[in-house]
Amino acid sequence: MSKTHRPDGDTLYVGSVQTAFPSAYMPWLSREGIAPTIAGMLYDSLFIYDEDSGNYLPSIGKEWCYVDQDGQPIVTEDGSIDYARLEQIYGDPKHQYLAVKVILHDGITWSDGETLTAEDVYYSFDIATNNTLSNHAGALAWTSDLRHSYTNGVLTRQGIFTYDHGALEQGYEIAEEDRDIVIYFHVNKVLGSVTPLFTSVLILPEHIWKPVVSVENQLNSTSPNEEILYRYRHPVGSGPWVLDTEESGSQQIILHRRKDYHRTQADGSPLITIDTVKYVLYQEINVAIYALLKGHIDVLDNSVSSNYLRLFENNPDIFVSNAPGQFIQTLVFNLNPVASERNPMRDLLQNRDFRKAMALAINQEELIRNVLDGAGLPASAGLMSAALEDFYNPAADSLPTDYDLRITEANRILDSIAPQRDSDGYRLLGERRISFAILGSPGEQDLISFLQIQFQKIGIEVKYGAKGTQPESTYLYPSRFDLTLHGVIFSLSNVDIMYPAHFQTLGRTSNYGRLVHEELNEAIQEMRFTLDLNAKYDLIKKIQPMIASEYYKVPLYTSNVISVARTDRFRGWQVVRGATVLNGESLENLEKTKEGR
Amino acid sequence: MKSAYVIKRILYSIFVFAVVITLNFFIPRIGVDDPAERYYPPQGNMSQIEYEIIKQVTRQQYGFHVSTWQQYLNYLKGLSRGDLGTSFRPGSPAVIDLILERLPWTLVLSVSTMLIGLTIGVLFGVVAAVKRGRWQDTMLLNASTVMVALPSFFVALILSFYLGFELGVFPAYTDSTMVSSFTWTWESIARVAENAALPVMSMVVGSIISYAQGTRNAVIAVTNEDFVLTAKAKGLKQGTIRYKHILRNSMLPIVTSLGMSISGLIGGQVVIEQVFNWNGMGTLFLAANNSNDYPLMMGIMLLLSGFTIFAILVTDLVYVLLDPRVTVGDKR
Repeated sequence: MSKTHRPDGDTLYVGSVQTAFPSAYMPWLSREGIAPTIAGMLYDSLFIYDEDSGNYLPSIGKEWCYVDQDGQPIVTEDGSIDYARLEQIYGDPKHQYLAVKVILHDGITWSDGETLTAEDVYYSFDIATNNTLSNHAGALAWTSDLRHSYTNGVLTRQGIFTYDHGALEQGYEIAEEDRDIVIYFHVNKVLGSVTPLFTSVLILPEHIWKPVVSVENQLNSTSPNEEILYRYRHPVGSGPWVLDTEESGSQQIILHRRKDYHRTQADGSPLITIDTVKYVLYQEINVAIYALLKGHIDVLDNSVSSNYLRLFENNPDIFVSNAPGQFIQTLVFNLNPVASERNPMRDLLQNRDFRKAMALAINQEELIRNVLDGAGLPASAGLMSAALEDFYNPAADSLPTDYDLRITEANRILDSIAPQRDSDGYRLLGERRISFAILGSPGEQDLISFLQIQFQKIGIEVKYGAKGTQPESTYLYPSRFDLTLHGVIFSLSNVDIMYPAHFQTLGRTSNYGRLVHEELNEAIQEMRFTLDLNAKYDLIKKIQPMIASEYYKVPLYTSNVISVARTDRFRGWQVVRGATVLNGESLENLEKTKEGR
Repeated sequence: MKSAYVIKRILYSIFVFAVVITLNFFIPRIGVDDPAERYYPPQGNMSQIEYEIIKQVTRQQYGFHVSTWQQYLNYLKGLSRGDLGTSFRPGSPAVIDLILERLPWTLVLSVSTMLIGLTIGVLFGVVAAVKRGRWQDTMLLNASTVMVALPSFFVALILSFYLGFELGVFPAYTDSTMVSSFTWTWESIARVAENAALPVMSMVVGSIISYAQGTRNAVIAVTNEDFVLTAKAKGLKQGTIRYKHILRNSMLPIVTSLGMSISGLIGGQVVIEQVFNWNGMGTLFLAANNSNDYPLMMGIMLLLSGFTIFAILVTDLVYVLLDPRVTVGDKR
């Protein structure tokens, strides 16, 4: 009956709620909307980081290890990294860098049939660091730990070595037969240095880009010439999918599976069995959800609000993925505003006991019940997910769990700081009611309303403050706020970057409330620069109670990622922590149902 | 006298457009310390020095490295060549190309809506005025009240859900291949018409009522004028009085309304386009706003304001043709 196309054949129909689909697929330029997802399907990085195990899974790279100055692997007998020897060798200050060896899979091809070699990897990292040929903030950020740099287009420090690019001169011997698959990197002496290099930089084909990129025609030029534009629009990658450039446009993106993709299932069968994925653009979430319910699409690429859950109940054809989330929603106190933004009310926030009283008044279970319709989990005060067992520290959660006790304790603390109350029961600072604005988006008004009720119990008034479209430059960096909501995510892969950004560095970072804490700083530095993984785990454990006891970023909850798919045409959907149901594992497990055939 | 009025109106429009160009350039720059930061916010573990380098390169690429006044002059130079700049989107597409890609699709909706709304609205308005106080008139007044209370996104969603998803009379949302596979064939045109049906329907109801209300009020006002009484006293036929005397003289407010509609033709309808996945100017502007792509925002705003000024100018000039008193009033 419907005039709108319904899915047929072997194509997986994916609805995606976006304002527009991109027209250029140069992966380093693709930063917004669906573009990074598509880029990740067309191109591969060296490895894939597995948050649960903390390991790097093979992608273009087959294996990797740290090596000594002669290129000899620093591994134990069972082949795992020998952290004790690593520290022994590189703990010596005379060594300025860590050396890393990566061995690529043999015989990987680009989607145009050319072979992928170590020279493609060299080219990708080299051009990312050369400002005269490319201008990519993202690529520069990812490669900032790579000790390979250019000054005005001249290579001033080499940090990537291949058979053709000085490996032997550097003392790394590469056999002739391995010339296409072995590459060495010099990185900063931080264990986390390899993470962005391995997992964030999508490898580009040298034979496609080198002939057209020059100082005059940079990657990311504002006036790309025709040849570069053509390559933006006709991507050649090494990923499992190729773009159908004829059929794809601003309203749909069609990807076909590469039959010759190098990664396979354990039994040697193809990694993915779906032949074609068609992304259909929707600009309105309600329409997209209705399209899913009516069977116009097989899956929705976006997460959906818990408000929609009732729509999917009792529908046998709908699979709801209620995956545990990774983002921890926090309430951030502006505890150290710049001098011009100080006032008596904000001075209260400098008092750690005052912040502790507010933290005590927050009832995470109630917020999860009311704001998330139950689709969430309480978050640790150490801001680390309990799922990360190797270094999660439950000792960070030292506040009582009984909420009545917490309110009593909070009121006891506040009675010693601001005992006077007005006729409505709110505490007074001098003649003025203690009142703070919480910066948030319109979608967060619900949350702030419930916080309002919780803080009312301790006589503190909070109000919603609209954060607008440029909150960083308008409110957060200039210290022009009382409290704000901020989602954080910490894991082994990012603590080296994120701990300093959230708790250490002042200025234009995520340390919006400008926390200054010497002891915490020292612990973060020590954690960053240790080369012993077990010591790193211990230091991360040590840092969590320090973060918790500052009551600076107070956890509110971890919301689940809710997403939906249909099961009448495809089955095998996988629930993955922090991801929607359309994730890599699902794509590798999906198969047509009998009805779908 | 008329030519003096026309010249004066044209000069005035040029002055307003110049002001618009200036505001269009400076307003997006208010409250932004460094325009380059809109494009590249601080990222990851990039050091401050690296971040400064990248911002400097970005400023040079987009012409932000010179003083604001120099940027303004460069902007004017670009405009004089018809260059609206390049978007911040991947691949740096030219703003004018992005606009030209969307504009025809917006015109499909807006022109259809305007033509249908105008035709049916004027007819309804005349009928309601003639049948003043009877059911036709009451129905129009009630419909106006209801439409004022109903937000357009609600109407659009209802139409999409019931006529589209449930009954399947028309596509619930635009077929994703409509734009990419469009050719100038009857089959393709019919497909566009089919896909445009619900979006146009969502907009046209309000448009009909708006024109009908305007026409009704104007017709009633003119009906009470002395010259109509005179015409009746002279024994002219009812049809002659209605169409030659009343309707023609009722056209001025309708022309105003039409002029304003024309100025809105190219702006697109964000909500309608969103609900029906229509590839138009409204969602282009929304996307530009969401991604802080202000070369694109500036380009769209400039086009919209330029077109609005032009439409108002044309409306004023049409007034002169319809009503000679306009120039007299202006002279006074």
